Amino acid sequence: MIKVSHVQGETLQIDHVTKSYGSGATEVTAVRNVSLTVNPGEIVLIMGPSGSGKTTLLSMLGALLKPTEGTIQLNGTMISTLAENRLPDIRLKQFGFIFQDFNLLSALTALENVAIVAELAGTKSGVARRKAASILNELGLSERLNFPPEKLSGGEKQRVAIARALVNDPGLILADEPTANLDSKIGHEIMRLLRNIAKEQGRSVIIVSHDQRIKDIADRILWLEDGEFKETVTMAIDPVCGMAVEREKAVSAEWEGQVFYFCARGCRDEFLKEPKKFLLTASEESSKKT
Amino acid sequence: MIRLAFRNLFQNKARLVISVGGVALALLLILSLDAIFSGVERQVTAYVEHSGADIWVSQADVRNMHMASSSLPYSVARKVKYVPGVASVTPILYLTNNVVSGDERSLAYIIGLPENAEFGVPWSISSGSSLPGKGEVILNRNIAANSGVALGDEVEILGDEFKVTGFSEGTASLVNSVAFITMDDFEEMRGSYNTVSFLLVKVSAGESPEIVTDRIEAQVRDVTAQTKSDFAAQERQVIKDMSTDVITIMNLIGFLIGLAVMALTVYTSTLSRRREYGMLKALGARNSDLYVTVLAQAILSVILGFLFGLILTLLLTVVIPLFGSNLALEVSRASLFKVGSVSLVIATVSAMLPIRQIAGLDPAMVFRGR
Repeated sequence: MIKVSHVQGETLQIDHVTKSYGSGATEVTAVRNVSLTVNPGEIVLIMGPSGSGKTTLLSMLGALLKPTEGTIQLNGTMISTLAENRLPDIRLKQFGFIFQDFNLLSALTALENVAIVAELAGTKSGVARRKAASILNELGLSERLNFPPEKLSGGEKQRVAIARALVNDPGLILADEPTANLDSKIGHEIMRLLRNIAKEQGRSVIIVSHDQRIKDIADRILWLEDGEFKETVTMAIDPVCGMAVEREKAVSAEWEGQVFYFCARGCRDEFLKEPKKFLLTASEESSKKT
Repeated sequence: MIRLAFRNLFQNKARLVISVGGVALALLLILSLDAIFSGVERQVTAYVEHSGADIWVSQADVRNMHMASSSLPYSVARKVKYVPGVASVTPILYLTNNVVSGDERSLAYIIGLPENAEFGVPWSISSGSSLPGKGEVILNRNIAANSGVALGDEVEILGDEFKVTGFSEGTASLVNSVAFITMDDFEEMRGSYNTVSFLLVKVSAGESPEIVTDRIEAQVRDVTAQTKSDFAAQERQVIKDMSTDVITIMNLIGFLIGLAVMALTVYTSTLSRRREYGMLKALGARNSDLYVTVLAQAILSVILGFLFGLILTLLLTVVIPLFGSNLALEVSRASLFKVGSVSLVIATVSAMLPIRQIAGLDPAMVFRGR
């Protein structure tokens, strides 16, 4: 379990964002009039076919690319209109990036890969190294601190990348296909870590992925196609069997003013017989997961 | 970021060896050439520096020995001796000619010394007599050895035979050596009497050579008087003037080789880490952070190359004399400063192209090219 303290979450809001490349007859619109609000502690999964605009959207969300139209705000600060020279600081301190290929610096050790990002943010070398070591220890890499990336397994590399994303205590984590290069077991481990980052630490997590398994940890799933959100799915956990279910398609029931979602009528009926029993179990399950 | 530069540099050992080795060899070219030049300067002025004289008096407007000739009436020696502050005057005769032994010829300053000369004599004798007698010559030991000449052998100077009676040390350079004969033999050989080439003046205790120099020029007509250090400086200047073009061309070649090697290795190194630099930009590194990394990498390579080149040059200064060569290498501070500056220029210029490349990197590239 990661014991990093609860951070002040960030609210990311994008309004009517469009990104076009080229002009005139050769103009291509990669993202078209997209709006989205991501709240602190929320996990948003963006899915879609290749060429749907996911990469362009992710780049804009991470202040790596400016939209052609529309606005992007982070905690009320309009980052889409900020001067180019102010963006590195925003990326460094308010965003944490996790990449599909891990993108670790091959010449540095695991510890140095994490510490260098803290140093870039102005943390003194010794403090940065202690902070990096602490996060890596929490992620179970205490025996690997001085290993170069080439000596780490895929799962270990991705945990180093997660530590690097967390080292400056950002409010928002952007993950690009974080489980794509990992086997099933390690993929689940990474998903569990991402869930902890959101639920335990209150950080917002935006994941772009093709991996259907990630749906299990997502609060919301957005389907992007031809640069537009075609479908929004809000996920919920069936309190009886623990399955992740899509609210819009699930069987629901209301108890004491709260709506619960179930995978099937059987689960709903069982729940309604003795709701408190399942709410207690769900709560225990949740704490076990984290 | 300096740590990153250091680690990047040492990660690829082959590239490190190529860049450091290339720069070291290029700088070795500059350093060793400078060292040879410094050594030649010292050797060429060795006779002046060890003459024991405080002031050198020559024919008007003659300011050095090398490739020059000076002729003064003998009477000038007496006039100079009467100048206040002058303690003693030693006249010498001088010309440049070959010392011939069989088929071997070696260029030498031929110095004609008066009997019981106080100054201008050989200052270090390895064997034999310390002053030449009638029909005798004192040669440099290395030159004699190279020509197969032993004590008691005869050599030819300006067509006359001289018996070798002594060997001196420190009197040879890359260009020539110094051979000592008597003034009488010199006059007979040349067929010219009552003239001298230079007057070696010793000033009285407590007198300033500069002031006495001014007095000599004021009181004796048609002479040029210079302190020993000024005369030696003029001698060095002649050598400099003769070799400036060669030195400049070789320095330029060394600089260009070093620059080419460094530019190529820094460029390919940066190119191979393009994605890593892009990732760092995406995470929030500023261009200036990355410039520092590339520049530090280039500077570290050049510092290593400089140290390696310097070690090789110092080794040469020790090894070359062991082979009996008259080549003396001398690493001067000025040369170290020059080569150090050249190294920094190489590092800075070679980092320019990769820096431009980094400036143009799009950080969003990390999300592309899967």
